[in-house]
Amino acid sequence: MPGAWLLADAKDPHRNGVLKTMTHILLRNRDIADIWQFDTYVANGGYDALKRAVNDLSPDEVIQIVSAANLRGRGGAGFPTGRKWSFIPKDAPVKYVTVNADESEPGTFKDRELLEKNPHQVIEGALIAAYAIQATAVYIYCRGEFWDLALALEERIEEARQANLAGEDILGSGWSCPVYVHLGAGAYICGEESALLNSVQGVLGQPRVRPPFPAQVGGGLYYAPTVVNNVETLANAPWIILNGADAYKAIGTPESPGPKIFCMSGHVERPGNYELPLGITFRELIYDQAGGIPNGKKLKGILPSGASGPVLRATEEVLDAPLTYESVAALGSTLGSASFILMDEDTDMVWAAAKMTHFFRHESCGKCTPCREGTYWLDTIYERILRGEGTARDLELLEKVPQQIMGLVLCALGDFACNPVLSTVRQFRDEYEQYIGLAEPVAAEA
Amino acid sequence: MTETITIIIDGQDYQVPRGMNLVDAAKMHGVDIPVFCHHPKLEPVGMCRMCLVELGSLAVNRETGQPERDENGQPVVRWFPKLQTACTQEASPGMAVRTDSAAVAQARYNVLEFLLTSHPLDCPICDKGGECPLQELTMAYGPGQSRFIYDDKMHLAKQIPLGDLICLDRERCIQCARCIRFCDEIVGDEVLAFHERGRRLQIITISDPPFDTKFSGNTTDICPVGALTTVDFRFGARPWELDEVASICPHCPVGCNISASTRLDRDFGGRKMIKRIMPRQNEAVNEIWICDKGRFGHHHSRSEERLTQPMIRRDEEWVPITWETAYREIAAQLARHGRESGFLAGASLSNEDLWELRKLARLTHADCSLGVWPATMGGIEQVTQVGVGVGTRLQDLGPDSAILVIASDLDEEAPIWWLQVKQAADRGAKVVAANGRATKLDQYATVALRYPYGEAVAALNSFAVIARRSNAIDEAFVAARAEGFAEFDASLKGARVPKPYAEAAQALLGAKDLVVFVGGEGVTLAQHGELMQAAANLLILTGHAGRANNGLIPVWPGANMQGALDMGFGPQATHDLIAQRPAMWIIAEADPVAEDARMAEVLVGAEFVALATQFMTPTAEKAHVLLPVQSFAEREGTFTNGLRRVQRFYMAQTPLEGTLPAWKVFAHISSSMPGGAKPRIAPGLVMRDITQHVLRYAEMSYPNLAHVEPQFPLVGGEDMYYGGTAYSNHGGLGVQWATNAEKEKYSLAVRPVDVARPRLDGLAVVPVRLLYDREPLFAPSSIMHQRVPAPYVELNVRDAEALGIAEGDAVMLTADDVQMAAEARVNSHAPAGTVLVPQRLGATPIPATLVECVVQKMEG
Amino acid sequence: MLAEKHAERIEKIFAKYPDKRSGVMALLYLAQEEYGWLSEEVLREVAELCDIDPTQVRSIAGFYTMYSEKPKGKFWLQVCTDLPCALRGADEFFSGLCAYLGLGERGGTTEDGLFTVEPVMCLAACDKAPMLQCNFHYHENLDLEKVKMLVEQWRAEAGQGDGAVG
Repeated sequence: MPGAWLLADAKDPHRNGVLKTMTHILLRNRDIADIWQFDTYVANGGYDALKRAVNDLSPDEVIQIVSAANLRGRGGAGFPTGRKWSFIPKDAPVKYVTVNADESEPGTFKDRELLEKNPHQVIEGALIAAYAIQATAVYIYCRGEFWDLALALEERIEEARQANLAGEDILGSGWSCPVYVHLGAGAYICGEESALLNSVQGVLGQPRVRPPFPAQVGGGLYYAPTVVNNVETLANAPWIILNGADAYKAIGTPESPGPKIFCMSGHVERPGNYELPLGITFRELIYDQAGGIPNGKKLKGILPSGASGPVLRATEEVLDAPLTYESVAALGSTLGSASFILMDEDTDMVWAAAKMTHFFRHESCGKCTPCREGTYWLDTIYERILRGEGTARDLELLEKVPQQIMGLVLCALGDFACNPVLSTVRQFRDEYEQYIGLAEPVAAEA
Repeated sequence: MTETITIIIDGQDYQVPRGMNLVDAAKMHGVDIPVFCHHPKLEPVGMCRMCLVELGSLAVNRETGQPERDENGQPVVRWFPKLQTACTQEASPGMAVRTDSAAVAQARYNVLEFLLTSHPLDCPICDKGGECPLQELTMAYGPGQSRFIYDDKMHLAKQIPLGDLICLDRERCIQCARCIRFCDEIVGDEVLAFHERGRRLQIITISDPPFDTKFSGNTTDICPVGALTTVDFRFGARPWELDEVASICPHCPVGCNISASTRLDRDFGGRKMIKRIMPRQNEAVNEIWICDKGRFGHHHSRSEERLTQPMIRRDEEWVPITWETAYREIAAQLARHGRESGFLAGASLSNEDLWELRKLARLTHADCSLGVWPATMGGIEQVTQVGVGVGTRLQDLGPDSAILVIASDLDEEAPIWWLQVKQAADRGAKVVAANGRATKLDQYATVALRYPYGEAVAALNSFAVIARRSNAIDEAFVAARAEGFAEFDASLKGARVPKPYAEAAQALLGAKDLVVFVGGEGVTLAQHGELMQAAANLLILTGHAGRANNGLIPVWPGANMQGALDMGFGPQATHDLIAQRPAMWIIAEADPVAEDARMAEVLVGAEFVALATQFMTPTAEKAHVLLPVQSFAEREGTFTNGLRRVQRFYMAQTPLEGTLPAWKVFAHISSSMPGGAKPRIAPGLVMRDITQHVLRYAEMSYPNLAHVEPQFPLVGGEDMYYGGTAYSNHGGLGVQWATNAEKEKYSLAVRPVDVARPRLDGLAVVPVRLLYDREPLFAPSSIMHQRVPAPYVELNVRDAEALGIAEGDAVMLTADDVQMAAEARVNSHAPAGTVLVPQRLGATPIPATLVECVVQKMEG
Repeated sequence: MLAEKHAERIEKIFAKYPDKRSGVMALLYLAQEEYGWLSEEVLREVAELCDIDPTQVRSIAGFYTMYSEKPKGKFWLQVCTDLPCALRGADEFFSGLCAYLGLGERGGTTEDGLFTVEPVMCLAACDKAPMLQCNFHYHENLDLEKVKMLVEQWRAEAGQGDGAVG
């Protein structure tokens, strides 16, 4: 039902106006099938933004435009991109842009589509970022499982290089910046920016202590100042440069402007990626766009940011809430990378939480004590509960062990691991109680 | 100097250096922040989360710039919402810390509970029990019992050998990575790493050989649990049964401060024996590290091969005699031979031994030569002038420093110095590694300078030439202190300096501090004095003399060569003796027959040879009387290290019955001579004699040498969790004697230079030293045998091809009167035209430095 | 030896980075492609190329799930069983595949050494579940019938002794 949601939102003429003229900004491959090809991309205005930046704008002007557009990082944290770029010291002789394409969050598959189907836009975005900080090289860190994708991406980069859009003396400007692909090899933690940098350097992919932060001398790739941006974030950059900050801010809400790709998976009629302005509601996304829940079932649980954010009970209040960074936070969860895993009324929430906990135990790098030991113990407790051997004490531990992890860990993975546990224990406690026999009348004590 | 700032810890103000690590800053003031992964000598990683504290900063009014105050006039602190790891914070002005709040206590409790859920409760059989940080901190901050189910505990391998010296217990490991980081950061041998991830994280090594580093034992000291233990000490004793005795390592010129852990032991007839050797903190010497030779090379002191009975040779048979008989016999022989007696002292004798030997020599005849063994390096004159300044700490060398290492493979000859030079390079010091071949230091050097063997003097003289031509002369210093500058200047005319020498020299010029290490590899004794003078020239001309962290450090062969030279023994005297062939010899703790092909014949030709020795060495086989003397472990004494620090060692082990300390033996012989005095009854009294007769030792009384001062970081004691189990120093920090450069009244001699480059003909022998060899004090430590290679020689590929020799071939090396069989190693390590021959790997002597030789493949 | 056989590829890998150590991950892939799995001997070869201690190479190999220090089947099938896929039947799909290949419920390697089946963490194909990767190539929108056909296809390929797989 394309367009249906436009009508539903006609009361907001501001947003409506933009969307009438543009169907996709990021997923242009949905409109132009062969846009992955260099010639097609260029024929449709591709690399004009890079040319504009390099030929007409100073690096600082590029940063100002992106800052003014209030582009927020699409990897999950929502940090303002322009500010991130502005932290890079101007006088450092070596600087890097690193593109985070380690997309590994369960329920997230947007970067993959961008890189597979609209790769030049990501390359162009990365080069705009590189120009803005005057980077000396770009590394695109692809998760190892994107093996085929990475090989194709290298060919796309080569096409850009041959057109003098990457590599030596870009567009005759005197600025040189090669673009490389680095392939990971199966580690969720390498999506954490400092672990990612370690991984490129050939050292163990564990997070680093910060400060120094990647933007600082000593904290980045090869210890040089480095910008680390998510694929989707950078895919926004060409449009912003071409259309300006105001046009960009006309999409979405003032705090969360721009288009966002929503990944829909789990119990959903039409799984896949949906590019929509930030600010539409849960209901619009789930029912109007993705077709609702299969087999006429009711929706029970929503994970708005993959496995790493708290689960939301699908109440009417939630369904009517707008999808912005702020409003989802107000509901007690996080929009993160906007990876929606939907669970229908028949879903066993204990089982679902156990699945996610197992994921985090498997992916904990082991560097810091609370995450290493805590995820191990949470997983062990879940195994016990699912075996039917859980006790009331185990349920108590599921509530208390996260308190020993959250806020006390080296990176966010440990915090993420606690979210599915705590949010399901709090909101679906009855299901846990069934597992541990607490729902039965208390006969033993009598 | 670093600026001092004020930080607030638990409501109290403390003065600390700006930028200091918060855990260390708190520790300095006696505030404990418990840690596992943090170590004051390592970079912070924030892994274990044990050091979580509440952190904040004083609120400052933006307009006035003044600290904000609450209604009571107290400064307002803005606290971070989350706890922060103290180990990753640098002290900054206005920093406020709470270590005593309930939240902090809870966080510590939580971390300990987590660690203990995966940790076995095998403290009663764990080697670390009693000195275990995990045990210690659990008692202080941890839970009484775990809420987790013990049945779910992971069971893992408990005895994984990490090489032949260290054992890993995987169950006990808490993944703090101190061992890995020690290897990576401090040593640069990346031979340990984590394998897998999460709770499966485990320490591995697949280097060849496994855990391939000379410093592996230190990981067991800083391991905060019993995961890493030494094979040498494993299940050997409980820490609380051990008595600690301060000692000095007898193996090399670094003079590492060590602690002998001793107990009365059934394996040693109920007598006191050394169970293990541990580092003892001396921040000016070895800090808190020792090498594996020092740690595991103590077994000679209890070897069954030790001699325990004075003996005399009668009709080619060794016949036991009493000490009394031995003294009288030797005294009579000395009286008979008078000035025809030669004295030869080994470099592992204590200063007291040396002094008594010297007294004996002087009593015999004023003209008796006092030789030292090995007699390969000279230059006491230059050390006296510009030896490294009093107060030098190699760990203070950094971005403003330059270090030259010439003619030495520091890694093999003085490992802890190598470690300190490497770390100085890491901190930004300019390092020039100059030698005839590649050494391990090259990878950390600013310039790795290769000169053809034989050219060391020309190379180092070139440095002074470049200093002069680059206007890097310290005019004021030279004007005030140097003599001979005009002659030096005149000698430069027309001196041509090859480009690589000039570049290496340039790398050193302009630094605030300059230290020059001079070794003896590939340098004959005749050249060595010139080499030391070349170093002295450079140091004097550039003004790098007479102050701490500047000057000359000779890489002597042996632990107390410096002491031997100070007591008047010298290498030239040794060569004179070999030439003169005196009829009577007294040799102490040296084995010249094993090392010099001429010596067997020289001694056979002598009428009487008395040898003080611990072992039946090749030299002993040529002697007439054998005097069984004690090892360093069995008596008191002092050694003087390469930085001229005189250091005390104490009696750690019950002496083997029938043995005596060498000083006492010589004193008794003296008292049997006409005019001899009664022997001193204690080594401290011998030292008192030395202080009265040897000017530079005037301050070296035993009480002075035993003086200690607080050192940082704190180790041992209550602070095991912090600095590790290295022992704090209660035995004395030692005293350095001051050089002439440090005394205004002395002028310093600069000499003319010669940059002529001699040419070597044929195939020249270059003896090299390996840390792990078969010298008598090390060979009995069988735990190390796997690390000692069979005799080999290294040949350049080009030479080997010409000679038809391939890698692994058995070859015969012939030079003068030496014939030695060895295995050939063919590589590019040895420069063309030279054969590298490691010393003391086999039973036969090797040729002398730069002697021409023939290498042939052995048939069949 | 990799150095001789793949000189050009190795050179290309090193050209990307300012230091050789960074080449370790790409070289491990190359080595795995060449030898099938990463034995200690292979790790040493990679270490030599990167000029680092073999211990460091083993550490990297052990950290990531796509490197294998044990031999795998000719077809290494990794089935995503994470939550999004599991909500769309991935667990049943996994056990069905295992049963079809005569493997236990945790997967493993078939006796003929042809197939290794393992569960794997999220592969960013949640919208196309159930799915698997075979020797790093994705196969999506599967069901048990489809995967049985794929298995037979692979079996046939292997029968022809063709090196190209996936």
